[in-house]
Amino acid sequence: MYASTPPRSCMQHKLAKGFRGRAKNCIRIARERVEKALQYSYRDRRNKKRDMRSLWIQRINAGTRQHGHALSSFSPATAVYSPVTTDRPILIFVAIFSFHTRVNYGNFMHGLMKENIQLNRKVLSEISMHEPYSFKALVDVSHSAFPGNKAAAAPKKEGLAILL
Amino acid sequence: MAVNCATSSSLFISKPSNKPSPSSVTTTPFLGFSLAASTKPAVQSKRLFKICCHDKPAVIPAEQQWMFDDLTGPDVWNKTWYPKAKDHIPTSKTWYVVDASDKILGRLASTIAIHIRGKNLATYTPSVDMGAHVIVVNAEKIAVSGKKRTLKLYRRHSGRPGGMTVETFDQLQKRVPERIIEHAVRGMLPKGRLGRSLFTHLKVYTGPDHPHEAQQPKELPIRDKRITKQT
Repeated sequence: MYASTPPRSCMQHKLAKGFRGRAKNCIRIARERVEKALQYSYRDRRNKKRDMRSLWIQRINAGTRQHGHALSSFSPATAVYSPVTTDRPILIFVAIFSFHTRVNYGNFMHGLMKENIQLNRKVLSEISMHEPYSFKALVDVSHSAFPGNKAAAAPKKEGLAILL
Repeated sequence: MAVNCATSSSLFISKPSNKPSPSSVTTTPFLGFSLAASTKPAVQSKRLFKICCHDKPAVIPAEQQWMFDDLTGPDVWNKTWYPKAKDHIPTSKTWYVVDASDKILGRLASTIAIHIRGKNLATYTPSVDMGAHVIVVNAEKIAVSGKKRTLKLYRRHSGRPGGMTVETFDQLQKRVPERIIEHAVRGMLPKGRLGRSLFTHLKVYTGPDHPHEAQQPKELPIRDKRITKQT
């Protein structure tokens, strides 16, 4: 039984360079590990495409949220007549936080689709990193096309509870 | 790589004020010339979107000539950006400071973990530490809602049989207040070598002082509107 084969004549032995422990030296172990490594590389050539797209989406998300904080704002406090009281209506000033101007990946992409801007996520992520002003222009375009779903317009319940 | 020339109606934005409009002119932004002139007949309908004019010399407008002068460098336009060492020098990281008094524990920990990990940056990379440092002061004044102050349990095990120690939130806050925030943030950071080194970027202190004035920490921007305890 050979502890290690002298020259790296076997192809699998050559592929085992950089492996941990005996897997780089001993052909019996190296063969198994190389088989596994090749299986992983087959699988991961397909996974890489998914991972890359997920990374682009995360980067676009971060970029839009950075810009979105300039866009989202509080709507002015509105007067709401309380429906609960019996004779006189009570004005309740409730500040409705305008979630409907939320800028995130979802709303951003929806706005882009509405405007028929067909930049893909890879390019959008590169723009968000290296061309911030251009990206801000894109965010503005998307926001004007699709400001976001309006939040439930009903005033918060704790507004009534404070009064009662 | 085959370029989808029929749908490349959006131009690469150089002027931020122009709204990109779906135009009928099929120009590829990188080649700068119209592909409508490609005369190869579409034999198979699925092959319509191929560049058919590799043999023709590219006609580059004068103002874009600088882009095509030197094409020998690395391809930064088609490869996803990966940070180099100079993009995450530890000494030039941002430092944030946040006051934990009357803030809800989990919401604060979530914001902190996002900033430490770097997920708020467009240059986020999962394998590289692109995040910031966060200093937490007044850690003993952190708030929790409901009855968690007396009912939330913190457990640890020494490894030996019967070595489980259980403490309530109250008891731990009296003993080591920093550990509450550290425990919360550590649970929200990734577990692994990188996560452990990210955790060292969190500095928690009881009381309002911290020894990191030299790093000129800024106020941590908090977007969560329910983070302050409603009294």
